[in-house]
Order: sequence, then C-alpha cells, then structure tokens
Amino acid sequence: MATDTRVILICSGKGGVGKTTLTANLGISLARQGLSTAVLDADFGLRNLDLLLGLENRIVYTAQEVLEEECRLDQALVKHKKESNLSLLPAGNPRMLDWLKPDDMKRIVDMLKEQFDYVLIDCPAGVEDGFKNAMAASQEAIVVTNPEVSAVRDADRVIGLLNTNAIKPVQLVLNRVRPRMMANQEMLSIADVTDILALPLLGLVLEDEQVIVSTNRGEPLTLNSVNSPAAKCYLNIAKRLQGEDIPLINPAEESSGFGAKFRRLMQTKIF
Amino acid sequence: MRMNLKGQKKIINIETSQYPNWKICLINELKNLNSNNVEIDCNDIDLSCTDILELISIADQYNCKIISFCSRSIKTIVSSQSLGYKSQFIIKKPSDNTLKMNEKNITFSKSHFHQGTLRSGEYLDSPGDLLILGDVNPGAKVSAEGNIIIWGRLLGIAHAGSKGNSQARISALHLRPVQLRIAKKVARGPKEKPQLGIAEQARIDSDEIIISPLDAT
Repeated sequence: MATDTRVILICSGKGGVGKTTLTANLGISLARQGLSTAVLDADFGLRNLDLLLGLENRIVYTAQEVLEEECRLDQALVKHKKESNLSLLPAGNPRMLDWLKPDDMKRIVDMLKEQFDYVLIDCPAGVEDGFKNAMAASQEAIVVTNPEVSAVRDADRVIGLLNTNAIKPVQLVLNRVRPRMMANQEMLSIADVTDILALPLLGLVLEDEQVIVSTNRGEPLTLNSVNSPAAKCYLNIAKRLQGEDIPLINPAEESSGFGAKFRRLMQTKIF
Repeated sequence: MRMNLKGQKKIINIETSQYPNWKICLINELKNLNSNNVEIDCNDIDLSCTDILELISIADQYNCKIISFCSRSIKTIVSSQSLGYKSQFIIKKPSDNTLKMNEKNITFSKSHFHQGTLRSGEYLDSPGDLLILGDVNPGAKVSAEGNIIIWGRLLGIAHAGSKGNSQARISALHLRPVQLRIAKKVARGPKEKPQLGIAEQARIDSDEIIISPLDAT
C-alpha cells in the first residue's frame, strides 16, 4: 500500500501541445523505475490516452462504472501489456459527457491512492468544467507548453487558476523545442517562456518526429530504449520528478556541432 | 470652552481652536479659576509625557493640583497614565471634525494593494489607486479610478482613471503593455523594447498618452 501517493495533474490550457504524450511517456518512465503508476484519462470526451498506450481494445469498464458500483476498481484498471507497473483508468465513456463532478473525481483518485505511488491525471484542454473536475483531485501539477505565444498565454491562464486552487508545486515542461529555430530566434526562447510563466522548469522536450510514429503505433517512445532525443527528455523528466538532480539540456549545444547534425541526419533517414 | 462644577473639582478643557496652542489656553483657564483641584480634558490633542509634565508644572505655578485627565487621544491617555494619573479615555463622537477624518479614511481605504503576479485572464479593478507588487502578464487586465503603480512588469492591459480622471497615471518598472488606457484615451503599447532598469510613467499630455521615464516628471 502506498502511503504518500503523488497525484499530479498534467495540463496545458491549449490543446495539442503534448499533454497526453507527456502523460503516457511519463507513466511508462515512472513504471520502468519500479514505481506503481496509474494514468487517469480525465479527457474522456475526446479520450486518446488509451490509443497512445495501445490499450484501446482492452478497455471494458471506466471509472464511471466503478463509482456506480457496477464493477470493482481492479476490473476497470487496464494494466499495460508490456509494463506491468502501469495501469490506465479511463474516467468515463465519451457518450456520457456530463456525469463527472469534482466530487466523483476525488472519490476515484482516493481509490487509486490506495494502490499506487503515482497517479497522473491527463487533463482535457480548456479551462471549463473538464479542467475543473480534473483539478479537484490533484495535489500538484505539471503545465505543458510549447514555445509559442498562444500556448504560453493559455498556460499562464491555467497557472493562475491552479494558484487560486492552492495546487502546488506547479512545474513547467517546455515541449517541442526546436534548438535550431531557437538559436535563430525564430521561436520563443526558454527565457522568454520562463520570464512570463515564472515557474520552475521541470524539463525540456525536443521536437522529435518519432513521437508521431510512436503515437500511431500505440507504443510510447520511452517503452523501447530507442535512441530518440524526446525519449531521453521524458526519462529525464521522470527522474527529476523523483528528485534526481539532472541538468537541463542546452538547446544551443543541440543545434550546433557535428555530432548533433549527424544524429539528425540519421534520424531523418531511418524513418 | 467648558467649565463644569463637579463637587470641588473643576474641569479645564484645553483646546486649540480659540488659542494658538494648548498652553495659552491652559494659562488663561487657570487665571480665571477659583478651585485648587482640576481635571484636564485634553480633547483630541496628542500629548507626550514631557508635555504632560510641562502641563503639571504650569498648573503648579497657579497652585492647582491636577486630579485626573480625560482625552480622546490614546497617546495622551497612555502618557498621563504612565505618570500615575487617573485617566479616562473618551470614545470619539462623530462630530464634524471626526466625520471629515472618516471621509479621508474612506478614500484611503479605496486604494487597493495587490501582491503577486496577475496572469492571463485575470482582472483587477480598484475604486481608488492601485498598487501591484508583481507582474501583469499579457492577457491580464488592471483598472483603477485613480493611478496605477506596478512594481514589476506591465505586459497586459492597464486602464487608469477608469471613471474619467484624465490626470491619472500609469507607472511601472517595465512598461511594455499590449494596450494603455487613461480616462477615455486608448493607446497601443510601444513596439520597441524599453530600456531595462528605468521605471516609466504614462500620462495624458496635450490629448495624447505619452510615456516618459519616471524620474523626469
């Protein structure tokens, strides 16, 4: 039985910045470190965490049935086929959109807390009811954003809401960083983002085409020890979450140097 | 001026409305006095211990013994009590004088102080002046009927003098707003980056919003 379960909300405000991808990869990385981890898909209206994890065809029940006592929690939990420490719990059925209330969310998370070391909640985009439900049961949060003005603006809004709901710590993951564009100042720099958001940076994730491939395959990048830049970033984030002191990558170094160019060339040719 | 008979004790009311200061008032009162025991009503006057010692020595010169003090000023009561005199605190009645003070207090309490960063989507409004200790991020909006002072960066929208006060000003350590409004004037923020480390102020000058370094005004 886990006593000090960490319940982490993964949110962004804007859609498509990589919440679900981060949840899936972080879940796998934590599970591979031997921690029992549950990922809760609170974005059940447009649920696709199960797709990313390749577990779509195994879902029978959802948290909704658990709360209505139509099934037991362990029946609804979907264990990952390759990583047994990781379980997925879809919060609800896409056809029943308004059943979930903040109290329901708290009850589900309280149940999960009894069995798991980590509960990662994949939050829906937006700041409406779906977000409020997901936030209700969380203790801490990771805000995902891209180095784009609109994503940063929405993240800022979300951080404001998290602060008013006394969720802390709130940490930042900057996703889809393109070192070359940053070096050429075609993209917001890391300093630009952290200046506005004023949050501790939990990690950077480099732009990586393999993310798309892995999403389509239903196998998160971190599952196979492929030599992918994004996978390394996700693993580092998981380690930092555990309290390990791993220095952040420097995008300036990634963009220059023969080694990096060679790696880029290799990666683009392989697929 | 009020002189009441209370047994043997006379009450001397010192006040400054008819006299240049309380000492002259006291001396005048003592001259006309035919009793040796007095109570001093100090009204609203703030008296320190030294003031009260001086008051006592003046009374001594006229062979008067001070029995007690009463006052509406806490400071006077504390001073007289610490010198061992019986003292009575009179709770302020809403006379004309105190009403004015209350009004002053109300305008003061209208001012708003906010500590912390205002993030996108947040909105802060004040019926008086507004002081913010933190940043105003892009997408956030602040407005005040009076002045706005931001001890931080202004990157969002600020509206000073929201009820039409065109004398209102907007000051910030780093003034780079999306939009500035003073009274009914609207201006887009400056495009060029401001010099770092110089606080700036926006105000209306000849019907236009201008921004200038704060120390030059």
